[in-house]
Amino acid sequence: MNTAISISGLKALLPFLIMTAAAMVVMLGIAFRRDHRFTVLLTLAGLALGGGSLVFTPFAPDRYVTTLVLVDAFAGYYLALLFAAAFAVVCLSYSYLEIQGGHREEYYLLVLLAVLGAAVLAAATHFASFFLGIEILSVSLYGLTAYQRHRDQSVEAGVKYLILAAVSSAFILFGMALVYAEVGSMEFARIAIRAGAAGGALLGTGLVLIIVGLGFKLAVVPFHLWTPDVYEGAPAPVTAFIATVSKGAVFALVLRFFGNMDIRVGGALFLIFTIIAVASMFFGNLLALMQQNVKRVLAYSSISHIGYLLVTLLAAGPLRLNASAFYLAAYFVTTLGVFGVVTVLSTRDRDADKLDDYRGLAWRRPWLAGVFTAMLLSLAGIPLTAGFIAKFYLVAAGIGSALWLLVIVLIVNSAIGLFYYLRIIGAVYSMDGPPGPSMPISLSGSAALGGLTLALLWLGIYPGPFLALIGSLMQTAH
Amino acid sequence: MIPLSWYIMLSAALFTIGVVGVLSRRNIFIILMSIELMLNAANINLVAFSHYLQSLTGQIFTIFVITVAAAEAAVALAIIILLSRNRGSVYADEFNILKG
Amino acid sequence: MILAWLIIIPLAGGVAAWAAGRKDGHWPRRLSLAALLIDAVLFVVIWRDAATEPALARGTWLAELHLNWIPQFGIGIHLAMDGLSLVLVGLTLFLGMLSILCSWTEIRDRIGFFHANVMAILAGILGVFLSLDLFLFYFFWELMLVPMYFLIAIWGHENRQYASLKFFIFTQAGGLFMLLSILALYFIHHAGTGVYTFDYSLLLGTPLAPMTSLLVMLGFLISFVVKLPMVPFHPWLPDAHTEAPTAGSVILAGLLLKTGAYGIIRFVLPLFPLTAPVIAPAMQAFAVIGILYGALLSFAQTDLKRLVAYTSVSHMGFVLLGIFAMNTTSLQGAVMQMLAHGVSTGALFILVGLVQERMHTRDMERMGGLWSAVPRLSGMALVFGLAALGLPGFGNFVAEFLVLLGTYRMSPATAAIAAAGLVLSAVYALWMVQRAFQGNRRWSGSLPDLSLRETGIMALLVIAIFWLGLYPGRVLDITRPLVSTMQFIPPSANQLDARTGGPAHDRMP
Repeated sequence: MNTAISISGLKALLPFLIMTAAAMVVMLGIAFRRDHRFTVLLTLAGLALGGGSLVFTPFAPDRYVTTLVLVDAFAGYYLALLFAAAFAVVCLSYSYLEIQGGHREEYYLLVLLAVLGAAVLAAATHFASFFLGIEILSVSLYGLTAYQRHRDQSVEAGVKYLILAAVSSAFILFGMALVYAEVGSMEFARIAIRAGAAGGALLGTGLVLIIVGLGFKLAVVPFHLWTPDVYEGAPAPVTAFIATVSKGAVFALVLRFFGNMDIRVGGALFLIFTIIAVASMFFGNLLALMQQNVKRVLAYSSISHIGYLLVTLLAAGPLRLNASAFYLAAYFVTTLGVFGVVTVLSTRDRDADKLDDYRGLAWRRPWLAGVFTAMLLSLAGIPLTAGFIAKFYLVAAGIGSALWLLVIVLIVNSAIGLFYYLRIIGAVYSMDGPPGPSMPISLSGSAALGGLTLALLWLGIYPGPFLALIGSLMQTAH
Repeated sequence: MIPLSWYIMLSAALFTIGVVGVLSRRNIFIILMSIELMLNAANINLVAFSHYLQSLTGQIFTIFVITVAAAEAAVALAIIILLSRNRGSVYADEFNILKG
Repeated sequence: MILAWLIIIPLAGGVAAWAAGRKDGHWPRRLSLAALLIDAVLFVVIWRDAATEPALARGTWLAELHLNWIPQFGIGIHLAMDGLSLVLVGLTLFLGMLSILCSWTEIRDRIGFFHANVMAILAGILGVFLSLDLFLFYFFWELMLVPMYFLIAIWGHENRQYASLKFFIFTQAGGLFMLLSILALYFIHHAGTGVYTFDYSLLLGTPLAPMTSLLVMLGFLISFVVKLPMVPFHPWLPDAHTEAPTAGSVILAGLLLKTGAYGIIRFVLPLFPLTAPVIAPAMQAFAVIGILYGALLSFAQTDLKRLVAYTSVSHMGFVLLGIFAMNTTSLQGAVMQMLAHGVSTGALFILVGLVQERMHTRDMERMGGLWSAVPRLSGMALVFGLAALGLPGFGNFVAEFLVLLGTYRMSPATAAIAAAGLVLSAVYALWMVQRAFQGNRRWSGSLPDLSLRETGIMALLVIAIFWLGLYPGRVLDITRPLVSTMQFIPPSANQLDARTGGPAHDRMP
């Protein structure tokens, strides 16, 4: 076991160090000067620095820094994705919090810490870094979810998220202990070897417990019960953060942890993931049909999207990592865009989560309605948007591995999903909305939404270069 | 010397008590304590295995877990205080604003 | 590159119309019309070349464009035009212009967005008629949907939300089956050759096991017959047609339905030359059911627009019958019917729109005696009623005659039953004219007759339908190369289980 950190190891840790430093600088900054704009600028600078440092980070397939983290191109890709998503969330949060009163600055501290946790997850190769990453992420999210102290929903969502996330962490931890007992190591690579060679009861139980815990974090059926409540209660930009950064980082970890294992067709793991994927797709979409609250609809829709994404985990071959990388990028852009619109429409008193808030939006704010429509169509997987290419890639990966059941379920669910996306779009373009525009959208909010829309169209219309990039990154990763 | 299986049984029992507590109790403090019980069941396991395997990893990991659990409890208590101030209650049944 | 311009110009025109619509109501209309006129000039250029070029006789593509798009997936921008595409592009531009003209006064709010949607649909339809890359084809196939949904959902009539949703779900669900089939073909081709490609000309030679071939073909077919629509996949059609604004109905009936038929001719028959004949008898049966069912139901309607919508089901039954009778004559008839139905039904929908604009109702019970009030409008209704029932001299007659002739060679009984549909069509067409335009007035007040613009629209349509009926040779010549290169294998010679499914790439250019 190599425990010493060399200079090149430190260089590889640069993004993590920068995030840590950024969190501390922001904390000190708040202590010296409590100013919303100043804090946001510090935060954005930290995220930009962290993202910029990725250019200088020496990624290599075997760049282990101790046994805890592996800084390879896979980690690099997800770090970039997480930083970019956090950047967008901060931009949106600024316009959201600007109209709220009270102490707004600590919010950004929590965001930075959560990003740090997520980043650790994306590079983790050891139970210790896995657990620490997931806890840093979760604990920061408790605070973020309950951040609006004056709103009952926000606090209630915070408590619910707190209890379920803590329980799921306990499951993961207990599972880790059992796996450790049998394998005698906490390194992913060794566990994977052992799991491939048909492990015993302790290892099996441990893995199942870990899957349960990760299932909570990913919000897949049957561990999804917290999702709609938390999505509804949390402030809109925090919901966007949970839906993207948190889930994306956990999924990167799932890919790393289970990706090394031999998930054979017919094996127990294959069966478990298949059931989870199918159940998530169906429950997510069918329950979304019955919701009246836009944030709840999006919560159930995100459940089904993670269900779709699990298809890549089960697919074999080189397409797997590429498909999930592209899907997550598209899902990030789309989800951030949708919640971005919810964010900029929210008022001081409440979030814009009723269908009525969107009625006739197209005639009051045509640009915003256009962005919202594009994002919803992308979630539904309609051509010209990133969501279409992403879903196409998933289906291609699924068919390439002959996962016919999953692919057909995915396609049937895409059709079901159309109903509720179209219902929202129908409301946006209905003629009987309330008249007159409300307050203008802030610059940072519109900049974030504009960037996201461009990204959406770019990924949807001309994905060639991005696919090539993913291809070259993932090739070196595995 | 106490055999390893005894530790596993103890920790499994504690973990189960914790799960049952989370599911059945209504006072949010008891729920939190049940979660602590689950975490500590895992800790017992880790330490026992660490000793059994003659590997330090498990014990170091336990220290991480204890640290994290303390941080978690701090944040959790802060949020619960906020909740009880807003609502004047710490019973989980009464948190029902959010539903579909 | 001219093919790409055909698609880009309407799209750009739509965007320009949208932008212009924020200032003034007239510019969107003018810009859209101008974009389509430019397209029409391009079309005339190609058409003139097509008539002279010996390429036509050989059956190769009249124009072709091949660019890379997403090379990682083997997706290219492959556009090509042959005689079939050419005439359908012509129909698209013709009806596109008319639908802009006919909504000149009907659409009064959100004019810019309306025209953006119309132009996007037209661009999608043009793309469908021109794409030879299956991915690109699917892309355009879906591109038609969203703006059409908006068109119905925003500018439609009373029940628009329900109708638009139904339309979208039906066609989208069908489209997903096609996506599955396209991907299956893509992977099977890769398994056989090691090449990932969506290119039509390469996929043509893909060898398929009989059962696989049947399943993959059904995926395509479901998507196409939902669009067509074939009974029992038609329930979306009456609602969508009835609730859509006039331009929407014209585009739906005149163009969108044709994409389904086009898909069968372009993809299903050539890609599955051995499997398609196996299901041909069943498809013929469905087609005949559709002909009779559509005719009977349209007879039962009191809503004028719904009546016209059901006649589409009946007429498209002839197209399906012509395609699956599987011989040169019947296929020629099917293509002819696509054009004739596009013009005649488009005209009927425009007429219904004009009546509704004047009377604010589509209920025939509240019309009657229109002839004396609006003689020109009523005269036009009679002309196109007669066209719909297939009177000689109209394009519909030529088409239905060819279809029946071709079918008779394969199966006299089927042809005989289908011919009964002609009798029924005479009944509903005349019934419509009688109830709505003749007899006693069941309304009061006075109505304006056709304006100059409206007279112009109708004149163009009359010229078109007579041209198709009296000089069908020109269209038949242009589409003949494609039709005659399809070699049809009699169903008796290839039972599904009695063959191995050899390469089939020699059947198409």
